[in-house]
Amino acid sequence: MLKKTAIENISQLAAVLMEKGTLLAPVKEVSCHNFAEISDPQKVDLKFYNTLMSPKSAFFPHREDFVKYKVGKPLSEAEHTILNLKPAFLFGVRPCDVKSFEIMDIHFNAAGIIDPYWRARREATTIFGYAYDINQPVDSADFYNTLGIYAADPEGSDIFMVKKDKELLLKSITPKGEKLLAELSALEKASSGDEKYYEDYIKKGKDYKTRFTCVDSEVIAKKIESIFDNTDFWTKMSAACLSCGICTFSCPNCYCFDICDDTLFGKGTRSRVWDACMFTDFTLEASGHNPRTQVYQRLRQKVSHKYSYHVRKYGVISCVGCGRCTRQCPVNIDIYSIIEAALKA
Amino acid sequence: MTDFKKIEENLKTEAGRLLKEGLVTVVLSYGKGFDENHPMPYAAKTIADVENIVFNQYCNYNMARYLVRYPQGTKIAIAVKAADSRAVIQLIQEEKVKRENLVILGIPVQGMKNPKTGEVIDSKTTCGLYNPVLYDILLGEEVHGQKNALPYEVLAEYEAMDKDARWEFWEKELNKCIRCYACRKACPMCYCDPCFIDQSKPKWADKAPQSPGNMMYHLTRFHHLAGRCIDCGECSRACPVDIPLYLFHKKVAKECEEMFNQKAGMSIEDKPVLVDFRVEDSDKILE
Repeated sequence: MLKKTAIENISQLAAVLMEKGTLLAPVKEVSCHNFAEISDPQKVDLKFYNTLMSPKSAFFPHREDFVKYKVGKPLSEAEHTILNLKPAFLFGVRPCDVKSFEIMDIHFNAAGIIDPYWRARREATTIFGYAYDINQPVDSADFYNTLGIYAADPEGSDIFMVKKDKELLLKSITPKGEKLLAELSALEKASSGDEKYYEDYIKKGKDYKTRFTCVDSEVIAKKIESIFDNTDFWTKMSAACLSCGICTFSCPNCYCFDICDDTLFGKGTRSRVWDACMFTDFTLEASGHNPRTQVYQRLRQKVSHKYSYHVRKYGVISCVGCGRCTRQCPVNIDIYSIIEAALKA
Repeated sequence: MTDFKKIEENLKTEAGRLLKEGLVTVVLSYGKGFDENHPMPYAAKTIADVENIVFNQYCNYNMARYLVRYPQGTKIAIAVKAADSRAVIQLIQEEKVKRENLVILGIPVQGMKNPKTGEVIDSKTTCGLYNPVLYDILLGEEVHGQKNALPYEVLAEYEAMDKDARWEFWEKELNKCIRCYACRKACPMCYCDPCFIDQSKPKWADKAPQSPGNMMYHLTRFHHLAGRCIDCGECSRACPVDIPLYLFHKKVAKECEEMFNQKAGMSIEDKPVLVDFRVEDSDKILE
């Protein structure tokens, strides 16, 4: 099913979705866009390239409370956090970010390792993918083509949207999306011309080129493994690295967290909070020993995890080439350049 | 002003000479990034590395940040712009690095740009100086005759706010913080190991990006930098969520200057204000 709406009327669609549940959509901040829970439908803003932070926080929030407890009281009195989720709509996700959810599912939603919080949010959410605007220039940091992802890939979305001049075309991809789209009476029916435009757009998405290097997951995994001991290489790659956490926090595929107990005046909360392998204390052991004291060791870990260990363990690279880590890095460290260099090392 | 290309040439020549003559083991300057608009901090260690050195309007990094990474005694050449040279001076004052181990390559420059916004970096977010305060070799002609906006002018609006409005302002701004710590990592004066915020015994603040932990982190960091911040603006440029950290740093710097009649990082003869005692020191803080 294909429907459409004028982009200037997007707040009407937003209002309808807000009646049905929680709407998460891009909003304009000082100098960037980010996904946020919408309380004012006028705030939904589709004039963005990509958001500063990835949409992973829709399923994996920066902080997730598990248990509230009182010090000295029996465990039975502790309160577990129960998620009472309304249906949610994650609106305007770029194809590379949609792909990242599938990779994150391996860790949180695969047989044997199920995170009830991730799963509950994932199941409650309908994803509105949104193709990159192929008439605008590509950002120099992006490299999702290298990971086999293209600007207008509808896979993984429930409903996929493309921009047609001043209109937005919405196409249902999954039965969940089909059902929702049928209910959205605020949208207009699309013409056969729109159908053709949509099909052409999806095809043209393949020609919208980001940076590209031929990276075979097995080859790169093996290569990175083989240069693990090449300290010169890693020292060079990390010479500028400040070891801050912005690359991992903005990454759609970084999922490391810390379990924190915060207690004040006898009342405590146990929560899960994002952590980053780029932080010095990430590997600090209780004994005081730290196996990764050097910046090069931490950067090597990050790159190796994504492009080698993850391939070895799960068969896929844990990166979608969205370019956020490169764009946000205060010193322009570029994981794509590191991968290119690793292949030649 | 000497143009960027010429400065780059001079930088390469001096770096090559210093490495060739064995006067230094590393030259801290700027290198090629993934494209021309994205240069990177760069450590040249061999003569072959010198080819990768670049200098353009986006080389805004404060290379003094990297000095403390090398063991004491390492002979280092460092490229500095005006504010960066103040950071080097401050680090010498704090005995993190010795003057005799440094060859300071001074770059007088104006019109540096923030690569993320394209904005010219001026006295709004930095100390606004054009010429390095301390150098051994100058890589271009000093910039003179330019009208300088004063570094504290940007504070006017902030100072017009009353106490409650300021609290509200910082609460709002610091609530944006995602605790990536890019600010402290980009800061040349943030070299504590471990940083108080990373300690678990005692644990000074929770890890999640929310109040009051965000307040605890930033307010403590602001005050750790009292009398030490040299106003390079790297923290604000590193911040992914655009918190105007420079405002607080400038405000504290201004108060320190008024009270102790000394600006951070202006002379290697000075002592940092908060470790120095003079009978004539202001008692304002105790009133």
